[in-house]
Amino acid sequence: MKTLTITVLLILGSACLAQPVDGQETHITLETAKELGRTKSRFLKETPADTKAVDAIPAANVDHFQALVAPLLNKSCLACHGSEKSEGRLRVDQLNPDLLTGPDVERWREVYNVISNSIMPPEDAPDYALDDVDRGNIADWLSGELNKASLIRRSSKVHSSFRRLTKYEYNYALQDLLGLPYALANTLPPETASEDGFKNSSELLQMSAMQFETYREIGLKALKRATVSGERPQPVTYIISMQDEMNSAASGKDPKTFDKSDESYRKQRNQPHLFNRETGTGVRFAAGKSMPQPEAVAGQTPPVSPVVLVLTRSKELKLDLDRFLPDEGIMRVRIRAGRSTMNPDEYASLRLIFSAHTSNNANFSQVVSERDIPVTESDGNPQFIHFDIPLSDIQRNPFRKLTTTFPRRDEFLHIHNVSNASGGEEQLSILIDYIEISAPFYAQWPPKTHTDIFIASDNKSDEEVYGREVLNRFLRRVWRRPVTAEEVNQFMALFSKYRPGFSTFEEAMLEVLATALATPEFLYLTQRETTDAAESPAIISELELASRLSVFLWSSIPDDELLKLAEQGKLRQTDVLTNQVQRMLADPRSKRFSQNFVEQWLGLDRLNSVTHVTDSSLREAMHEETIAFFDEVLKHNHSIMDFIHSDYAMVNERLATHYGIPKVYGPHFRKVSINPQTNRGGLLTGAAIMTMNSDGKDSHPLKRGVWMLKRILDDPPPPPPPNVPEVDLTNPEILKMTLKERIADHRNKSACISCHSRIDPWGIAFENYDALGAYRTQINDKPVDATSELFNRQTLAGMDGLKNYLLTDRQDQFARAMVHKLTAYALGRPLSFGDRADIDSLTANLRQRDDGLGDLIQLIISSNLFNTK
Amino acid sequence: MNDKSMLLSRRAFLRGTGVALALPWFESFAAAGPGAEETPKRFVSVYHPDGVGLPLKSDPAWQDWSWFPRGGEKDFELTKVLDVLEPLRSEITIYSGLSHPAARQVHGHSNADQYLTGAPIGGEGPYRNTISLDQVYAEHAGDFTRHSSLVMSTNGGVGGPRGAQTQSFNREGRPIPAMNRPKEIFDMLFVTSGKDAAARLARSKSALDLLIDNTRSLGRQLSSRDQETLKQYLDAVRDTELKLTKAQRWIDMPIPEVDTRNLHLDAEPKEARLYFQTMYELIYLAFLSDSTRVATFQLGRENGEGPHDLLSLAVGLHGAHGLTHEVKKPDGWKNLGTYNRYQAEEFGRFAQRLKETPEPTGQGNMLDNTLAMHGSASSSFHLSRNYPIISAGGKNLGFNNGRYLKFGKGNEDNQAGAGIDTDAGWTAKVEVEELPLAKLFVTILQRLGVETDSFGGYSGTLSRV
Repeated sequence: MKTLTITVLLILGSACLAQPVDGQETHITLETAKELGRTKSRFLKETPADTKAVDAIPAANVDHFQALVAPLLNKSCLACHGSEKSEGRLRVDQLNPDLLTGPDVERWREVYNVISNSIMPPEDAPDYALDDVDRGNIADWLSGELNKASLIRRSSKVHSSFRRLTKYEYNYALQDLLGLPYALANTLPPETASEDGFKNSSELLQMSAMQFETYREIGLKALKRATVSGERPQPVTYIISMQDEMNSAASGKDPKTFDKSDESYRKQRNQPHLFNRETGTGVRFAAGKSMPQPEAVAGQTPPVSPVVLVLTRSKELKLDLDRFLPDEGIMRVRIRAGRSTMNPDEYASLRLIFSAHTSNNANFSQVVSERDIPVTESDGNPQFIHFDIPLSDIQRNPFRKLTTTFPRRDEFLHIHNVSNASGGEEQLSILIDYIEISAPFYAQWPPKTHTDIFIASDNKSDEEVYGREVLNRFLRRVWRRPVTAEEVNQFMALFSKYRPGFSTFEEAMLEVLATALATPEFLYLTQRETTDAAESPAIISELELASRLSVFLWSSIPDDELLKLAEQGKLRQTDVLTNQVQRMLADPRSKRFSQNFVEQWLGLDRLNSVTHVTDSSLREAMHEETIAFFDEVLKHNHSIMDFIHSDYAMVNERLATHYGIPKVYGPHFRKVSINPQTNRGGLLTGAAIMTMNSDGKDSHPLKRGVWMLKRILDDPPPPPPPNVPEVDLTNPEILKMTLKERIADHRNKSACISCHSRIDPWGIAFENYDALGAYRTQINDKPVDATSELFNRQTLAGMDGLKNYLLTDRQDQFARAMVHKLTAYALGRPLSFGDRADIDSLTANLRQRDDGLGDLIQLIISSNLFNTK
Repeated sequence: MNDKSMLLSRRAFLRGTGVALALPWFESFAAAGPGAEETPKRFVSVYHPDGVGLPLKSDPAWQDWSWFPRGGEKDFELTKVLDVLEPLRSEITIYSGLSHPAARQVHGHSNADQYLTGAPIGGEGPYRNTISLDQVYAEHAGDFTRHSSLVMSTNGGVGGPRGAQTQSFNREGRPIPAMNRPKEIFDMLFVTSGKDAAARLARSKSALDLLIDNTRSLGRQLSSRDQETLKQYLDAVRDTELKLTKAQRWIDMPIPEVDTRNLHLDAEPKEARLYFQTMYELIYLAFLSDSTRVATFQLGRENGEGPHDLLSLAVGLHGAHGLTHEVKKPDGWKNLGTYNRYQAEEFGRFAQRLKETPEPTGQGNMLDNTLAMHGSASSSFHLSRNYPIISAGGKNLGFNNGRYLKFGKGNEDNQAGAGIDTDAGWTAKVEVEELPLAKLFVTILQRLGVETDSFGGYSGTLSRV
């Protein structure tokens, strides 16, 4: 039966290849290609492989090889891969046919790939051609043996999911544990990415003494930040009322006042100014100085004033706050603002910038607001917008405490209007009548972060009892499991040692808690050997599953709900688990998954190292697009084939402009329908991909090809051999060539052809996209030639042709690659040969469920792989 | 010479130096582990702001008051600015044609920050620096001594972004506060008892004990393969423990006693001569007692005002920063040159003192085992090019002195950027080719024993050095 299936597949595949390469294929729409390609899936035809370890140990079927396979290989392969010639350093006649114990499994897998993908024997060698039956025979034997070998290897699996948390996971874990929304782990060294691009790969997550000490420092510092001592500090409060500012500006020396009826008003109104809406008078006002008001109380709502500050697009108010802001704590900035016009296509938002100018040439300025906050209400019904800025985390003026006046001590807060407003008579401005700045700001005292650690208790007066209560609660969350009394005793003993050195219980306890934050059970994802005879030794416990889940989907530790379900032994119940995964994906923390997985999967770090993107808003939009797109597919359980092509795009205004998609306004990403003429859809045509795979001036087909093979098809090309000849750019003949000709010239050198012919055609198909990913039809006045031919003679007519080919013929490969990448990320370890059968089975299940990304997450989580050590 | 007799000789020798350094801690020093008994390799960098005088050849002042020497590598001739170093001629090297590429388009006044880091800090907006040369070495040599480095400046503290008052930046690129009061520096080096440090250390030890216990009990529940992974954590804890033991050694060890009779610990910057000499003397004492092997010293801050601007009072001139702006006034080049000459004179005095002090281990004199750098991140008038750099000593590290080394192309006579006296001079287009200063830093690090072949993104050393 199996033989038959594969033969059918091969016939289908060959039939497709046999089509004339006159572009006929590209006439079918990509949507049709999706459907057609799906019918070819081998995963839809086979019953999913039984992935449970078989009882009898499988044995190698060498007899079948000798009888049937070897003669075929001899006939069709040995001419190039035998004793006479051994291209690719492969000698098929010397491969050990015992895949289960022999050393040649990896080479056999290559043979399997080229045979089953009809890449070998080459089409231009008709003497050695394999007919479909023979091809099927080889492929069938190989696939069976490879699967058996995979199952054998399972019991001696090389990689473990026991690993340290990554830098970003540790940061989120600490944030979630302590309730602190700040970057806490910046002092840790960055992580190295694995071959697959993943930073959470167990093999690479090392630990050194320096790193260990950094964990201890970060832990103690974060705990001190989360807790408070003594009385509630008196905040410093600045109140800026535009009515008052107008009064003093108008009475100042040489006030630049004007009236709405003035000739000059058209010019004046574009500059920051104060404006009395009742009288129509205004005065220029771009910078103010404010001093703290000792009597002022923050959090007020005074009556709306007729006098407002008017900020048009890109304009700002610069407030000199002198030198009175405290060193630490939250600075809450409350701004009452409204929009002058309500055109829904226009937006206006507020951004905060902090700066100082300490002496000539010694200045700095820095955006301190995490994101721009849009003003959505009209000026008739203004809204309060607030920003919380952690004062100890931003660049401050180091001279603010000097007793002398030089270098200058002042600090400045800029309130900036970020907008897409167009000019004209009735242009959109932000109107502000009231600003309040207060620091340190506490919503309650003591803050929740404090009472989460030093919990309310009747036993507070008894340090022995209360200490245990604090530790019991804290350790449970740190270790993500119930804690024993002995374990608490150990920490209480440390507390007793520390206590005499400190004046308060809290100070001593923080040092103890900091020690808990340096324990391996916080820093690592553990998987214990089970002592319970009833449990299968390979299965991880429910508590371990809870941690694995939360690290996968939240890049952090489990919350209380997950932990409770695991403690009660309910988490693994099918419906409970499904519901929990849904809940976790609906939680904002799942954005971390989309971001970290996509960044690592696609290798987006490279976007930060290219130097030719000069517009930072474009760079940010490119980066965000890929994540927003993944998020969209995930949240709506769309097919993963949408990554290859979709009839929608995720864009904001900046990116839509770049792509030539009209009528998209505002900085937020949203789904828009696109037509084929947009030349977008899916991830491949994202500007981020094109930009990071460019050389700084122009497209870089080689980089794009390698990227495509590595990241999308999970078929990485071998690294370049040593002593590759460089393209000689001093040769006038070569200088005259187009890029594509140059590549072809290089490829045709014998040393290069074997690899480049596998890589370049993929990259050339991207040629319609320039170094910033903009679509082009001409390069240096010559029409773009983005047509290429793959190693197997398949023609790729540009991006459409490439997408068409992938959708028609490579769906299985992409689906399997996607499963592979997501599973490697979910497990935090490289997948080995031993995981092959599980990946196949997951892929089959995914394909049967119509390729939904949300389904894939559920499938992975309920898989054997995810639930075992 | 065996360890004991070597130590005895060091001790006996120090008694004879006249600084009355009593060194009872040497007995335990022998136990300090590898690196401790060897002859120390030391590094000190002195930074002065505002660059130097570079008149045009056509200017009558060129002959006497151009900072760079005339002539070739060996036969160079010092002008009046540096002639005070003539007695040390065979101990110094003067460099031209070096600068940090990332800073070339930035105003010289923003550049004290990156002299030892080479970071692209830019001229405005967000600010980010990287680790400085001295701190790379301190990471390497810091464990051998009580203090990993001594960071000093006349103004003290960290200064502001692009207005640094320290030359030292840590691994995260954060500025390390500089000390500026001789009394405080002296107390830190030779008086502080470290009671707090002892308590902190004791706490850390108990915490590590707990962590080791905790890790072991976890390990027992893991598969043997996972235990291997966990072992790395345990090793990290153990390494930390070793480090604490070392730190404990410093706490237990008596602090060297130094006779303060000849030190003017209350000197203030406005008493420039006394202050300079005291600060240099503190570096000398810190080196002599092997309290540290790394020091930086920034003379004032870029762009004037504050205490450093009074340093030129030492040579009867007001406003050090103003001197760079007044070069076209009568005696302008001479006045700036006179002030630069004074800086060189004090640096020379310090180098001479090291040279006159035999190395306690018997390996030559102290200067032979010390690389002392003196320089600025601009040459002529705010121009972030052709840094004026002198190094002294380091013979035993492999530095071959008595040379004037010109690097780059097109500026052999140091006339590019010469004669500028307008504030916009720094924006002038300079066509000459200069080499990255980071290459000299790589050379220095390698000779100090740090295994590296790059600094700040530049790899490779500087030939001929």
